[in-house]
Amino acid sequence: MALIHVNQVTKQFRKGAETITPLKEAELQIERGQFVSLMGASGTGKSTLLNLIAGIDKPTSGRIIVDGTDITRLSRTKLAAWRARNIGYIFQTHNLIPVLTAYENIELPLMLLPMNRSERRRRVEVALTAVDLVDRANHYPRQLSGGQEQRVGIARAIVTDPTVVVADEPTGDLDTETSAQILELLERLNDELDTTLLMVTHDPDAAAIAERRLKLDHGRLIEHAQAAAPAVHAGAS
Amino acid sequence: MFKFAPYLLKTLWRHRTRTLLTVSGSAVALFVFCFVLTVRQGLQRLTQQDDSVLIVFQANKFCPATSHLPQDYDQVISRMPGVRDVVPIQVFTNNCRASLDVVVFYGAPAEKVRRVRDFELIDGSWGEFESHQDAAIVGQALASRRGIQVGERFSVGDVTVAVAGLFTSQNRAEEDYVYCHLDFLQRTRGLDLVGTVTQHEVWLEDSANPEQAAAAIDEKLKSGQIETDTRTKGAFQASSLADLIHLIDLSRYLGWACLFLMAVLLATTTIMTVEDRIGEHAVLQTLGFSTRHVFRLVMSETVLLSVVGGCVGIALAVLALSQSALSVGAEAVTIAFEPSWDMVLTAALTSLVIGLIAGIAPAARAAKADIVTALRFSG
Repeated sequence: MALIHVNQVTKQFRKGAETITPLKEAELQIERGQFVSLMGASGTGKSTLLNLIAGIDKPTSGRIIVDGTDITRLSRTKLAAWRARNIGYIFQTHNLIPVLTAYENIELPLMLLPMNRSERRRRVEVALTAVDLVDRANHYPRQLSGGQEQRVGIARAIVTDPTVVVADEPTGDLDTETSAQILELLERLNDELDTTLLMVTHDPDAAAIAERRLKLDHGRLIEHAQAAAPAVHAGAS
Repeated sequence: MFKFAPYLLKTLWRHRTRTLLTVSGSAVALFVFCFVLTVRQGLQRLTQQDDSVLIVFQANKFCPATSHLPQDYDQVISRMPGVRDVVPIQVFTNNCRASLDVVVFYGAPAEKVRRVRDFELIDGSWGEFESHQDAAIVGQALASRRGIQVGERFSVGDVTVAVAGLFTSQNRAEEDYVYCHLDFLQRTRGLDLVGTVTQHEVWLEDSANPEQAAAAIDEKLKSGQIETDTRTKGAFQASSLADLIHLIDLSRYLGWACLFLMAVLLATTTIMTVEDRIGEHAVLQTLGFSTRHVFRLVMSETVLLSVVGGCVGIALAVLALSQSALSVGAEAVTIAFEPSWDMVLTAALTSLVIGLIAGIAPAARAAKADIVTALRFSG
């Protein structure tokens, strides 16, 4: 069975008098360990789909099953606990907590899990090593470059060893060279740790590193390798 | 929640000017609240004093300067059933009206002062007091306020006494009085009041009923030279302080207003903080923090500000009250501004409750914010 199963998911919201439907009866399956990129123009609903899979948004209808759990049926409290255990989220603008050091930012999601301090320290050190930032552990976000901040964001996303890591435009705020480093890091995490990755991006070069590429185009989600065969039905009103 | 304490403290430190201003505002509010509380507690202590002591005063007189009872009433009263001791007292005060600096002289037989009061001399000697006609012992609070020392002469108006000792008492209000010899106070000021006193203080047996004893005394002296009005000491002091009681009663509104202002200040600061960090809270919730976690974090911040501000205000109030030895008095009865553990605990608990009340709305707002919408704010 697929790790992620998006089943007939529709998302609607109101904008003034207008009803927007960024996703309509969407279908998607992602296997464990896959690195999937999702492209599309602004407003086509790719971030909406990402947020639905990450459990920070709820669909209007349909079901999303992640690793056997139907997350659309979870209460807000249970969904939060589920996110803590199963989701690593990489933001476009890093979104590090400014008053905490790199180490403390990475440790933050671990504090929600039943884990003692020494185990937390061990995991943070592993994550810092993975993103090559051991020497920046005690630096605050304002003391880091954009690329370093994003690497801390990635370390924070993987430190809990989540079921799925989702990345919303992870290179959107970075220059070309730093973007390449971040993409290489994500690719390495997928290869070495077998992390299931779903990345939303505008950048075709960034999307190209994923083993599976999806594109939202005029309301339809298309597999890059199988342009003729839509993997997902999606639509905008 | 303790594991998030570093995050909490660093967040407050990051906005240290705002934190400092909020803590200062809370401290000032609690400082005033402590003063109000102290005055009210001082009044309560005076008016709820032991019922086993009665004050016999001249009927229809309210100021000690106008009450003149025959001194020999003490002989009549002391023979009545249930009476353990009678102390004739001449009172002189520099100000019968409400004042923050009332000096009250109590003239009483020296041996009786020592017997019926719980005074502990912290300087000077009883012997010196008992052996000199113009000697007096002075309460520690008054001595501290006026800079009085043993061996000095102390004058108020026409009355000048030689300070033979300084005393402390379990009843802090007593520390605002000067005790001197009865006949000295009867003869001083160019007057000859020998044979008359302002009041008689009647100490009852434990088994005596205060109301019945008071009624019996008034009944017995009804046919005497001067009609009397006898009440328990608590009721007598409440009556003397009647005007002040109304003012003190009004002061509770000042106390409530301070607490209300403190709650508004804390709530405003917390709402500003929540609005500044709407994106940050959304990030926390994306990481797996529940609405309850965010609610508690915001509540903890508000409570911490409130309690720290409260503790600073309480500490300053205790310091100011204990150092200033302030009191307010009227009709020769004074209310001591004495800090107490009861006041400290009440004020500390109040600051905690104010923090909880002020934090609820902002914390709920932060916790219930839609994550996706809030993330858009964070850029």
